[in-house]
Amino acid sequence: MSELLIKNAVVCDPINNINCVKMDISIKDGKIVESVSSGAKVIDAGGKLTMAGGVDGHTHCAGKINVGRFMSPHDMRMTNVPGLSGKEAPTATTRAQVGYNTPNAFAIGYRYAKLGYTTIGEAAIPIIGARHTHEEFEAIPILDKFGLTLFGSNWQVMEYIRDDEPEKLAAYVAWGLKASRGYGIKIVNPGGGEAWGWGKNVSGLDDPVPNFDVTPAQIITALAETNEKLNLPHSIHLHCNNLGKPGNYETTIASMKLLENLKTSRDRQAMHVTHVQFNAYAGTSWRDFESGAPQVANYVNSADHLTFDLGQVIFGPAMTMTADGPVEYANSRMLHAKWSNMDVELEDASGVVPITYSPKMFVNAVQWAIGLELALLVDDPWKVMFTTDSPNGGSFVNYPEAYTYLMSAKRRTEVIEGLPEMALGRMNLPGIDRELDLYELAIMTRAMQSKIYSMDTKGHLGVGADADIAIYDLKPDSIDTTVEYAAVKKAFSSTAYTIKGGEVVVKDGEIAMTPEGRTYWVNAKVPQANTDAMQVDLAQKFKRYYTVNQANYMVEDAYLPHPVEITTEAL
Amino acid sequence: MQTVTLSLKEKNAVPIEADSVNTDNFASKPKDEIGAILVWYGNAQVAVDDLFDVVVDGFGSVDEMKIIINGDVSRVKRIGQGMSAGEIEINSNVDMHCGSNMTGGKITINGDADSWVGCEMKGGEIVVNGNGGYYVGGGYRGEACGMKGGKITVTGNVRDYLGEHMCGGEIVVKGNAGLLPGISNNGGSIIIEGNTTMPASEMMKGTIIIKGTVLDFLPSFTEDGTEDVDGVTYRKFAGDINAGGKGVLLIK
Repeated sequence: MSELLIKNAVVCDPINNINCVKMDISIKDGKIVESVSSGAKVIDAGGKLTMAGGVDGHTHCAGKINVGRFMSPHDMRMTNVPGLSGKEAPTATTRAQVGYNTPNAFAIGYRYAKLGYTTIGEAAIPIIGARHTHEEFEAIPILDKFGLTLFGSNWQVMEYIRDDEPEKLAAYVAWGLKASRGYGIKIVNPGGGEAWGWGKNVSGLDDPVPNFDVTPAQIITALAETNEKLNLPHSIHLHCNNLGKPGNYETTIASMKLLENLKTSRDRQAMHVTHVQFNAYAGTSWRDFESGAPQVANYVNSADHLTFDLGQVIFGPAMTMTADGPVEYANSRMLHAKWSNMDVELEDASGVVPITYSPKMFVNAVQWAIGLELALLVDDPWKVMFTTDSPNGGSFVNYPEAYTYLMSAKRRTEVIEGLPEMALGRMNLPGIDRELDLYELAIMTRAMQSKIYSMDTKGHLGVGADADIAIYDLKPDSIDTTVEYAAVKKAFSSTAYTIKGGEVVVKDGEIAMTPEGRTYWVNAKVPQANTDAMQVDLAQKFKRYYTVNQANYMVEDAYLPHPVEITTEAL
Repeated sequence: MQTVTLSLKEKNAVPIEADSVNTDNFASKPKDEIGAILVWYGNAQVAVDDLFDVVVDGFGSVDEMKIIINGDVSRVKRIGQGMSAGEIEINSNVDMHCGSNMTGGKITINGDADSWVGCEMKGGEIVVNGNGGYYVGGGYRGEACGMKGGKITVTGNVRDYLGEHMCGGEIVVKGNAGLLPGISNNGGSIIIEGNTTMPASEMMKGTIIIKGTVLDFLPSFTEDGTEDVDGVTYRKFAGDINAGGKGVLLIK
């Protein structure tokens, strides 16, 4: 039994409607409680900003990031963000760290913890690659992890949609989540991953997938219905069709509209649309390319069934990695860059391509603005998750820099002054004067995640929550975040304390201890008869097509030494 | 003028990484301070004077600095790494990464240089009075650019991947070069006076002149008349067209 009392914390906890109020936080056995005994260890926060541990709900931290590592050995020596990148020798508490966009697993854990993040979600797990994903999860210290499983170009899924077999589809998705120990349904360029197997792509929501006679719209709708049938904690997590193409904002809005009337099984969104910056492009080509953020934001403001994340671009080197195979092919041709392409058998495609976002390049400058426009033009911060789609838009170690763009119009103006004239006419950012406050930042970086992933012990500091806490060296009552952005960046780059499960893991920006994190996964229960019927079809897939057999395919319990199993009952 | 003479006491079996042995680090320091500078000896750091006899003559800034290295340093890596001025003279064969990342000054190697001599070099000059290994003037794995400036002269032969990913500067090889010199070149110039095999693959920019015989000439170049350089007429090729390159390859 361990007790901890944090005194004089200025708490910013949007889930509990606490907006920078000085109070004490009591912790017992890794949970937040009403009070502790007089023998509790005391930390005096001294009026510093205190938030729940951050939750990054969409990052590439295990799995495909390894391909990025293979392709960029020079990444290990990149020192773009001092203190949070490059090579660091091991210490008594930490292991060796390297890298920037594709840091090693230890560095991912330490650096997120230094930023005050305590939970991260891997954005894409192919079922067939899930064993490896979980091995990497285990190697990432401190943080709690969860991963979203790819279903959007899966043969079994598309066949059940074509054959109108919703019960079997639900049984397959439940089985797929279990086989991959995944947390939710990820859909990447629905149907496009399969089309890429034929060197093609799907052009939009109504373009049938080769050989399957289903459309991306049907895939999205059917998987969303399945998601609700299974009563999953998260909604479908959608990477829209036509990513990265001028004019794609129309596809994005059309995809969002598909689920306007979906009845959700839980009190949360019907869909989460991810890294929308890459999907909010107007114009018809790269010549007349411009921001489509206002159109998307207008729709999001008028709708109440969805949430999204930014995919904010950070100027400098990044590494794109996605299951959207055709996009990565297009990237590699356009950028004359190295290209990794991988076939994921019956499940999807995948690719990795390095990129450098330059403030001097008109397209990159507009991309940078689009992410910020989305965050600032959508009125309700509870709909917006802050991400860079790390490392696609930029490494997560740049989050503090990006916060300053959101919180300070002055800071934005400084950056905008260095952008090409041509870009300024294609963006709306210079006319936006909204500046987020700390409360809104807390919503976008931890509180809204608690709701969209139905993680009621994460993202807040109410009684019963996990004692995952970040104390930043910043006093809300004496700082003007719209002006003192350098101080804001510094404070968010290295916490005074990060507490994970009641233990101090970072103190004064240094790693103090490295406990193992846990892995959340969803065990969705469906009637056994449906599973049995589904297994008959699945057995044929393994017999005829897969390179592995089913027994060697499932993630076994041994791969998750620290599991948190969330059981749901199908409705 | 300051001259520092390092003489290796005993040929080392365990590799030495001597990236701290460079003119910038030695300049304006007395003998005991130079002797106390640490180098990696296997997985441990030891002082320079544990491994070398150190003689210091005079006193001066880095511009007036000369380091003379005697003894068999063929297993001493990274000598002169990152130096900006002054001179190093090595009277022996030398191990990998000699003069890597240097920005100025001159290194003379009176012997053979192992692989990666002058890799990622940005300025200054390296003269190898002997043979060069693999990746002379090459790049770090994954980086877009190898050598960006300065000049490397090799009086003997070099092995494969000469000037790999080179983006600037000049390399002259008096002897033969191995496979794939100038691979993925993106600027700068290479002169090979001897023979070589499959030059300039995936070349985007820059100039490569080959005075000897070319074996296995790649088909992905277009012939574009002739060009005279220093009174010699060469056949001129442009490519590598497979990569959309606009490099110039001159062959006698």
